[in-house]
Amino acid sequence: MNSNNVGCEKILNLFRSELVTVNVGPKILATALEKQGYKAIQVDWKPAAGGDKEMQEILDLLGGLD
Amino acid sequence: MTIEERVNEANRQVLEILTKGRPRWVDVRPALEVIPGMTPETILMPGPSIETERITPPLRTSICGAAIHEGLAKTKEEAWKLVEEGKIMVASSQNYSCGNAACMVTSASMPVIVVEDSVYGGKGFAPIHPGPNPKCLRWGLYDEEVEADLSWFRSDYGPALSQAVRASGGVDLITILSKTAGMGDENHNRQPAASMCLALQLIPYLLEIDHPQKNKIIKDFAANDRFFLHVMMAGVESLTAKCKGIELSTVMVGMGGNGEEFGVQMAGTANRWYTTKAPKIKGTFLKPSYKESDLVGYLGDSCVTEVYGLGGMSAIAGPAYMRLTGSNYAEARSRTEKARAVSLGEHTFAPVPWEDMAGFPVGVDARKVVGYQILPISHGGSALRSGGQGGAGAAELPMECFKEALRGIYAQAKSCDSQG
Repeated sequence: MNSNNVGCEKILNLFRSELVTVNVGPKILATALEKQGYKAIQVDWKPAAGGDKEMQEILDLLGGLD
Repeated sequence: MTIEERVNEANRQVLEILTKGRPRWVDVRPALEVIPGMTPETILMPGPSIETERITPPLRTSICGAAIHEGLAKTKEEAWKLVEEGKIMVASSQNYSCGNAACMVTSASMPVIVVEDSVYGGKGFAPIHPGPNPKCLRWGLYDEEVEADLSWFRSDYGPALSQAVRASGGVDLITILSKTAGMGDENHNRQPAASMCLALQLIPYLLEIDHPQKNKIIKDFAANDRFFLHVMMAGVESLTAKCKGIELSTVMVGMGGNGEEFGVQMAGTANRWYTTKAPKIKGTFLKPSYKESDLVGYLGDSCVTEVYGLGGMSAIAGPAYMRLTGSNYAEARSRTEKARAVSLGEHTFAPVPWEDMAGFPVGVDARKVVGYQILPISHGGSALRSGGQGGAGAAELPMECFKEALRGIYAQAKSCDSQG
C-alpha cells in the first residue's frame, strides 16, 4: 500500500465517522445542518467593532482585543 | 515600542492610580478657595459644556439660582442675561476635578467636599449632598426656601462639617467601601450602608463642635442616606485628576450628561469630551403620571462613580436597586459581567459575598467597548424638564462616544508616531 492510499483511507474514515460541523458566521447554516440531523457547533464570534471598517483600522493600530 | 504596547503601558499607569490610589475626605471649603481655576463669576455645571441656548430648563434654573446666591444677579432673568453675555462663565465641572450630581452646579462661595488621594496627590471636589428634601438646586429648583438652604450650607453646615472632618484627621473612603462590602450598596444610586458607616466615624467629632445649632447639623448629616455619594464623587475626581493626560491611554476617566449631550473623557486626552445625544434614564417614575417626554436626557456627574467601578458597573453588589431600574437579579449580574468584559482591572477591597467574593471591575477600556460591541450600563436618576426628580433607573452608555474617543486617541497615536 503506497502513501497515497493511506491518505485516502484516512479521509474515507473521516467521512464514515459522525460528522460534526463547526460553524463560524451566520447561525442559519448551523441550524440548517441540525434540521437535517447533523451535529453543529456554533462559534460565538462577531467581527471586531461589529464590522465597522474605520474602527477596525483604528483597533489594528491601538490593539487591546484578545 | 509599538503603538499598542504604548497604549497598554499608558493604561497600566492609569489602572495603577485607579486601583492603588487612596482617596481621603480631608475638609470642606468654599469652592473659590480650593478649586484651581475657580473665579467669583464661574459656575460649574455637570456633563460636557454646551452652547448657552441648548442648556436645558432645570439646569438653567440651577445656574440662575447659583448666580443669585452669589449676588451676581437679583433675578433669574438678570442672571441668564449675564450668562448669555459671557459675564458669568459656565464651565464643565469635571474639567475642574469637581463633580456635580443631577442638576447641581457649583459656584464660588458654595462649600465643597475636599478629597485628597494620599498616594498620588490628586484632589477632587463636590458640593455637599442636600439631603432628602426633593426641593433643591440639585434637581433644578430654586426659590426662597432653596436659597435659605444654600445659605445655611454656606454659613453653618459646611463650616461645621469642615471642623468635624479636620478634627477626625480625615476619612478614608476605601475603608468605608471595605467595611460596607456585602451590605447591598452599589454606591451610585444606593449607599445607605456607606453613609451610615461615614456617620459612625464623624458623629463623635460633630458632637464636639461649638455651634448653637449643633443638633440640626448632626440631624442634617446623619439623616441622609445618600450623603456618601458626593463624598465618593469627590474621591473619584481626586484619582482621575492624576490619570488625565497620561498620553495614549484609552481608559475612561470622566463621564456625564448635561441633559442634551452625554460625554466621556479618556485619560489620554484629559479634559477633552467625546459627546453624543444624551440617552434617557429608564426605570421607574417617581409619580405614575410622569412620562418619558417629561424628562430631559442624561443629566449629572454622579456617574463618575461608575468610572471607579461603582453603580451599574457593580450592580451585583446592590441588587435591591435593580427593582427601581425595572429589572431583576439576573440583570444585575449581567451588568457587572458586561462591565468586567470591557474593564482592565478589578478592585479587591470590597468583595461581593454572593458572587463568590469577586471584586468589582474598574477601568473601562474604549477599545474593548468598541471592539467587542459591549456597552457598560450606568445607573442614575432622571430630571424633569420642569425641574425636580422624575425617576430613577439605568441607561446604556452611547457607543458613539466611545467611537469618537477612539478617533481622538488614534489621532494622538498618529501624531506621536510621526514625531518618532
